[in-house]
Amino acid sequence: MSLPEPGAGGPASAPRGGVNEARRKAIRRFFGNKLGVAGAVIVLAFVLMAIFAPWLAPFDPADQSLLTRRQAPDATHWLGTDEFGRDILSRIIYGARVSLGVAIGSVGIGLLLGSVAGAIAGYLGGVVDTVVMRIMDLLLAFPYLLLAIVIVSALGPGMINTIIAIAVWTVPAFARVARSAVLQIKERDFVVAAMALGAKEQRVMRVHLLPNFGATLVVYASLYLAYAILMESALSFLGLGVQPPRASWAGMISNGRNYLTSAPHIATIPGIAIALAVLGFNLLGDAIRDVYDPRATKDG
Amino acid sequence: MDVAEKEVLLDPNRTDRVVPARPASPHRPPADVPGAPTPPPFPEENPLRNLRTVFAALVVLALLAGVGLAQKTLTIARPTDPVSLDPHFETTAPGSWVFSQILEPLITVNQQMEIEGRLATDWEFIDDTRLRFTLRQGVTFHDGTPFNAEAVKYTWDRAWDEDRPGRWKSLAGPVEGIEIVDEFTVDLVARQPYGPLLLTATMPYTGVVSPTAAEEMGDEFGRGPVGTGPFSFVEWRSNDRITLEANDDYWGGRPNLDRVVFRTIPEEGARMLSLRAGEVDMVLMPTPSDLPGLEADPNFTVEGAPGVGVFYLAFNLEREAVSDVRVRQAVAHAIDRELIVEAILEGGGVLATSVIGEPVFGYKDMRLLERYPYDPERARELLEEAGYSRGSDGFMVDENGERLTLELLPSNGRSLKDREIAETLQEFLRQAGIDVEMDIFEWATTFELMRGATLEYDLNSFTWFTTTADADYTMYSNYVSTETPPESWNRWRYANDDVDEWLKAARASLDLDEREELYGMVQDQLAVDLPAIPLYGSYEVAALDASVEGFVAHPIQYLLNLHPVDIVD
Amino acid sequence: MFSYLIRRIFIAVPLLLGVVFIVTASFDLIPGDPAALILGEFASESAVAELREELGLDRPLLVRYVDTVVNVVQGDLGRSLSDRRPVATILGETFPLTAQLAGTAIALVLIIGIPLGLAAATRPGSTVDNVIRVVSLAGLSMPVFWTGLVFMVIFSVNLGWTPVSGVGTWQHLILPSVTLALPSIAVIARMTRSTVLEVLREDFIRTARAKGISERSLLWKHMLRNAMIPIITVLGLQLGQMLGGAVLTETVFAWPGVGRLTVFAIFNRDYPLMQGVVMVLAMVYVGVNLLVDLSYGLFDPRVRYA
Repeated sequence: MSLPEPGAGGPASAPRGGVNEARRKAIRRFFGNKLGVAGAVIVLAFVLMAIFAPWLAPFDPADQSLLTRRQAPDATHWLGTDEFGRDILSRIIYGARVSLGVAIGSVGIGLLLGSVAGAIAGYLGGVVDTVVMRIMDLLLAFPYLLLAIVIVSALGPGMINTIIAIAVWTVPAFARVARSAVLQIKERDFVVAAMALGAKEQRVMRVHLLPNFGATLVVYASLYLAYAILMESALSFLGLGVQPPRASWAGMISNGRNYLTSAPHIATIPGIAIALAVLGFNLLGDAIRDVYDPRATKDG
Repeated sequence: MDVAEKEVLLDPNRTDRVVPARPASPHRPPADVPGAPTPPPFPEENPLRNLRTVFAALVVLALLAGVGLAQKTLTIARPTDPVSLDPHFETTAPGSWVFSQILEPLITVNQQMEIEGRLATDWEFIDDTRLRFTLRQGVTFHDGTPFNAEAVKYTWDRAWDEDRPGRWKSLAGPVEGIEIVDEFTVDLVARQPYGPLLLTATMPYTGVVSPTAAEEMGDEFGRGPVGTGPFSFVEWRSNDRITLEANDDYWGGRPNLDRVVFRTIPEEGARMLSLRAGEVDMVLMPTPSDLPGLEADPNFTVEGAPGVGVFYLAFNLEREAVSDVRVRQAVAHAIDRELIVEAILEGGGVLATSVIGEPVFGYKDMRLLERYPYDPERARELLEEAGYSRGSDGFMVDENGERLTLELLPSNGRSLKDREIAETLQEFLRQAGIDVEMDIFEWATTFELMRGATLEYDLNSFTWFTTTADADYTMYSNYVSTETPPESWNRWRYANDDVDEWLKAARASLDLDEREELYGMVQDQLAVDLPAIPLYGSYEVAALDASVEGFVAHPIQYLLNLHPVDIVD
Repeated sequence: MFSYLIRRIFIAVPLLLGVVFIVTASFDLIPGDPAALILGEFASESAVAELREELGLDRPLLVRYVDTVVNVVQGDLGRSLSDRRPVATILGETFPLTAQLAGTAIALVLIIGIPLGLAAATRPGSTVDNVIRVVSLAGLSMPVFWTGLVFMVIFSVNLGWTPVSGVGTWQHLILPSVTLALPSIAVIARMTRSTVLEVLREDFIRTARAKGISERSLLWKHMLRNAMIPIITVLGLQLGQMLGGAVLTETVFAWPGVGRLTVFAIFNRDYPLMQGVVMVLAMVYVGVNLLVDLSYGLFDPRVRYA
């Protein structure tokens, strides 16, 4: 009775041709996709920014100067100062470490655990399927905020625990996608054929299933990166995000929102950073999907 | 003999405060002035205030031309809904703001911190454990029940119920309850001589309830209390609004307002925008950084008064690092408290000069700015005296080369800018070579940790309100050595035999001069021992639409006097 | 069909038992004492202990859990620890407000999100497609407390078109529902675009085109119908999340719904209230999923409920 999950109407044919040739084709297809390249550039820029933060940031992101607080952008502070007189540009640069770390970390964990659980449930079926999916239902039906607060309260606040709190929330979504993709692909001719030919289960999973539902998962993951950043903002909003003096973009928006009329740059600049990062991840995700989907034509 | 008339109730040396208590005179205009209606709510909510004013003037003219009377409704925005409107179940400010309009205590403290009669016209100490009240006659509850000594006794007995005690019982010290003398005379009795007895009777929680209504309604009383106050209850839509209407038969005269609406708007920015859009007339707990702009704008006014709350940085004296007074002094020198008040609170708080607020009875200036001026270099010297040395990374290190790290448990979202101040403290201490690690939790977790029998932190920051405006309320539970958590609030585990003795003597005395001197000695000692660094004093502030007149902020955050308030366009 | 419904509803039972147990246990696990929170900073420990006993908090976890289950079976959701009102009454007040907000927002998502996705899918790679993609992603990436406050400044304070916050008239519904809908519009637009593109590649569309069926009838009869299933699945997930309480939107717009109730219950450790909230949310979850599954049949006659 279970029906296809969103975006799971994936590929229909088995990967064909030599691995090298396929890879070359994929790379060529990727670079033909201008938006995809733009997305990759944005993501790469942010990742480099996070890695080289100490060299790039003009100021110490924790350095407060209360007398020069909430200043508009000028020659010294290119993006202005926040409510403590800290340099916003430096906090954006360092904040990339936290925000991208939380987003990539939590989605990475969720993707890994969720897709493994979902794929196993879908592939094995029966009791395993029922048990795994009921647990996922439980997680989905549970208010995510309660879940996050329980985790943060039990483990203490901090970046790692924020990642865990958000990851737990993303697991069921990936599990469902993976499961339905597996269910669908399992019925397709090439898998049935491979199994009839005596291919080992592991090999069937690795060679045939993974590449095929991988594309769907990539699209989902890129969407969930945005969700994860927003989840962190919800925790920051309630005062439970990463701990000071560390900065996260969402936390910067949350703290700056009370100055929206008097000093709008404090909340708006990190907002633009988030929007850019989300855009980058999604453009990149779409491009990767298109590359992996052998039937995808030039539809962006 | 009326004690209040003979004796000075509060600080005898301050003439501005010393006023003999007498029944509040019903001061009000002879009748409601017709023809000053508020503009209709919705189409008028236009940000173009000039146009709005012109339009409002036209509406007023039209109404003066004989259209009729409009209702005067005061809409107040505040961040949280009360849990209950029955002081039996609710002892927080959001509850008191509302129920103190409906339920009146026997006596109250006014904005000048003088004692005023409400449902009592006279009061005097019969002996050192017994306070006699003469009750106001001819008062009826909103449900028509006559007010008398029975009602007072019923109210206190209700809170002293063994099976289900009132939430405020534990705030009333060694009080035993009310004894009826005759229909309009009652005695408030304590088990032992209790200096703060008179101020205990001013607590808004002691507001007298209608016995008939309370009996009939049971738990539902908290959803629609019935009292004698200037306003009566109309409707409560949870988390949205509470509506009250004028009590036409109020003994002190009908209020100027027809209706009062308390709206719950949790988001600070949205509260301020509601005021700017003309949707509300008054904002409690406004954004400090918006206040200068509002004050300069002729369309708004700002009313404030220094309050009875103090925000501290407290030390846990059981922890090794801060058990050394030099380390505590170093922390005091490392923090620029004046700058914090100026730059973070921006008018939302005042520089604290003692562990209790200036309006509180027993207050004495601890001269902290002279004793511990902001001087990060002095802070490092004190740390060196305490055995630390300057590490290569700027942080101070102990003899083992370990960085001097203090763990801070800050309150979060519990008092004005507490989180921001914690963040700034961390930075000030970093400048003086002290590494601060902090754990920011939501309040329930923080509160549980603070109440614990042992506190696993070196530092704790929070606000303490002296709700009764008597130093005993704060000093006794916070500084007597045996008053440790979880039973009481000596969270710093402060122990000084002299202080114990002084505080016990002050509690048992009815001599105001003696009490004040004892509390002064305690504060001088605390300035030396430094178990806590007071950072800022609360400032009770409201932002108002310019049309609201007659509102005076109260130093005690629980009290909101709306009886004289009027809306004049 | 009937037995299918019964079975689906039966599946909800272990789910309900599970969520209620997790709530009860997790409130035990995390620090925070409801009695102390109710009494506030200035109460003594003996007063707290008395209240704890009065509220029955001193009973062991399992006793409280079984007690709840027994009461729920008898139709009693218990009383809130904080204000002692019946949990059912409180939910009866808040849930309709949240349903109003979520319903409006989902309607906006349908009306705006699907056409946007279709417009993007008809000309993939075009400027229209790219503009829609960037704009919808921007909508997805701003925290609602930021967009909400910006909307208030523009539409309520500067233009005076809508009330700033609160509930009451239909005008009060505009800003919060738009704010809440924005991220979902982005998701649905993207989902519509990609599923329609998938469907367009299917053989039957080519066949239909070859048979000379008009483009309009092609769009409605074949494309949308086939693309609807994944869209509805995601829509169901979004609706479930919105009904679960849009905490931030409700807080910013002073909307007294389930989201704020949830936060209140968590922050005050009001476990009976939280049990009630999660039970309703679990039923909403089951109900929405059921509706989604049933609606598959509308769009795909091959689906059988057995």
